[in-house]
Amino acid sequence: MPAVELDVYLFVAAVLFVCGAVCMATKRNAIGVLMGVELVLNGANLNFVAFARYTALGLDGQVIALFVIVLAAAEAAVALAIALSFYNNHLTIDVDRGNELHG
Amino acid sequence: MKFSELLSKLVADTCDVSLPLFGPELCIIGAIVGLLLVRLCNFERVLPASFVALAGAGAGLGISLLQFRQFGDAVAEQASTPLFTGLLMYDPFTVFFRVFLLLFLLFVVYLTILSGIPDKEDGPDFYVLLLGATLGMMLMASANHLLMVFLAVEMTSVPSYAMVGFLKGRKLSSEASLKYVVYGAGAAGVMLYGISLLAGLLGAANLTDMAHALLRFSEMHTEFSDPAVRALVLAVLMVLVGLAFKLSLVPFHFWCPDAFEGAAAEVGGFLSVASKAGAFGLLVRVCLALVGPPDHESTSLATVNLYLGVGLGIIAAVTATFGNLAAYSQKNMKRLLAYSTIAHAGYMLMAVAAMMVVLNGSEPPDAVVSRAEAARDCIEGLLYYLVVYFFMNLGAFAIVALIRNKIFSEDIADYAGLARQAPGLAVCMLLCLFSLVGLPPFGGFFGKFVIFASLYNAGFYHASMWVVLAIGGLNTVFSLVYYIRVLKVMFIGSATDDARTIDFSMASNAGRYVLLVSVPVLLLGVLVNPVSQIARQVAKQLF
Repeated sequence: MPAVELDVYLFVAAVLFVCGAVCMATKRNAIGVLMGVELVLNGANLNFVAFARYTALGLDGQVIALFVIVLAAAEAAVALAIALSFYNNHLTIDVDRGNELHG
Repeated sequence: MKFSELLSKLVADTCDVSLPLFGPELCIIGAIVGLLLVRLCNFERVLPASFVALAGAGAGLGISLLQFRQFGDAVAEQASTPLFTGLLMYDPFTVFFRVFLLLFLLFVVYLTILSGIPDKEDGPDFYVLLLGATLGMMLMASANHLLMVFLAVEMTSVPSYAMVGFLKGRKLSSEASLKYVVYGAGAAGVMLYGISLLAGLLGAANLTDMAHALLRFSEMHTEFSDPAVRALVLAVLMVLVGLAFKLSLVPFHFWCPDAFEGAAAEVGGFLSVASKAGAFGLLVRVCLALVGPPDHESTSLATVNLYLGVGLGIIAAVTATFGNLAAYSQKNMKRLLAYSTIAHAGYMLMAVAAMMVVLNGSEPPDAVVSRAEAARDCIEGLLYYLVVYFFMNLGAFAIVALIRNKIFSEDIADYAGLARQAPGLAVCMLLCLFSLVGLPPFGGFFGKFVIFASLYNAGFYHASMWVVLAIGGLNTVFSLVYYIRVLKVMFIGSATDDARTIDFSMASNAGRYVLLVSVPVLLLGVLVNPVSQIARQVAKQLF
């Protein structure tokens, strides 16, 4: 079996990051934006784990990845609660419909 | 080494060294657990949630003041101790921010008791969020590991999102928090990706190790066309995006006015001062890690860092200008203060930019003060400005909150005739706003003076700092106009007949609170030495 190089992992992570960033920038649905964030976080996580395997970063990378997984869950919980509160007041979760604060 | 040996060493390090020095944070954690228990067992009638929060903050403040005194007694001996195997750094800088943040927390909790936000039902939840965010900010100022950098930023952000949306059933509040969470989560994601690249390329996640790894990296890769160097620069920029979001620097400031307008004024005051302070503490730590170990001779690393410093200076100048210009047309007082917050973040960033330029520029031949001395002046300016900003901005937001409780409005036009109905309140507002402009003899003047002086000195290392200085000076003049406009409405304008009247006595608790917050603004301008000496001592330990 040929060994997989570090570059391949980094490439996949970069693709995830770009997908997430595009998703955040283009989606108008708040849930869609949050999914984009998750993609970005997981792209970064893949980086951490790959670097942990191939570079001097070592176990630090794996530990960081574990923390990030937990943190992403916490952030998603708060973000979804806020999306729900927005829905209760506006009857939509289209981020563009929040247009009362401007100037 | 055997596993059991490793474990016993770790336990000894944690129990004997780290936990005692981690006392203030433990107090806050205790208070959070206490608040959750109060919520769980319905103790609210016996023990109000605000009381638990005050007790936790007070105990933490007491411990951190003791720690601060210890540093005063034993000069330069054991200046910095890494905690928890290097995750956190314990030094005077850390302790300064602990005292600052906990004192601010006390003031904010007392303000929420006076102004009645949150109501009794939601009290425990609100104070848990408030204390949790403060804990995150304290960790930000002491972070010494890339994991802690990210965790602390998130620990501050996530409760802040919820606090901004705390006014239930209000359209504006939910819109503000949704905008905040969308921008915030995006910025955090980008920052984490940057951190992953940075840690991987350098092979180190501890900021102290990173400084050494960066030096080795700069010796191996000297050409900018090297892809590794480009990736590293990109990673640093991505980390700075996350920090710039927390500091509401242009072009990552969009959330700030919206979040502040939708949130309660108390929350706005908390976010504008405490989260800025924590983020500046973190920015200084990250920048010092990027500078590399002290007294290194790598010119390529210094060149890149010099450009970083100049870039920060440009962002600072643009941020200050944008904040001041956008504040002109505002009708809502909280929104105006939000833009003024952006502008002030710009002024404070100038100090950090000056520090980077001083540490990395080519030393002028006729330098009067040494490089470390000049860098110390920059940090001293930043810290002094933060202390003044604490009082003047909290004062302004507190007065907005107290007026809101009387007239149910935050529009500047509704403040007409305030000076006749509540002269004490109007005079305190005048103190705070004049200090925000930076007029002598108020604290804001001296804070700006120190920062501008350090910019002038940094100009000898790289001339662009003089341009930044000129823009900063011009901004001070711009900002006068819109602050004066508010004061004009308050002092000269007359109320319409159907306007609600304000009945506010300075002898009440709220009146005494406003005095307590706004008098230091004047004192800090007149009695400069005590605070500036503390700031100088704290800065001394960093270089």
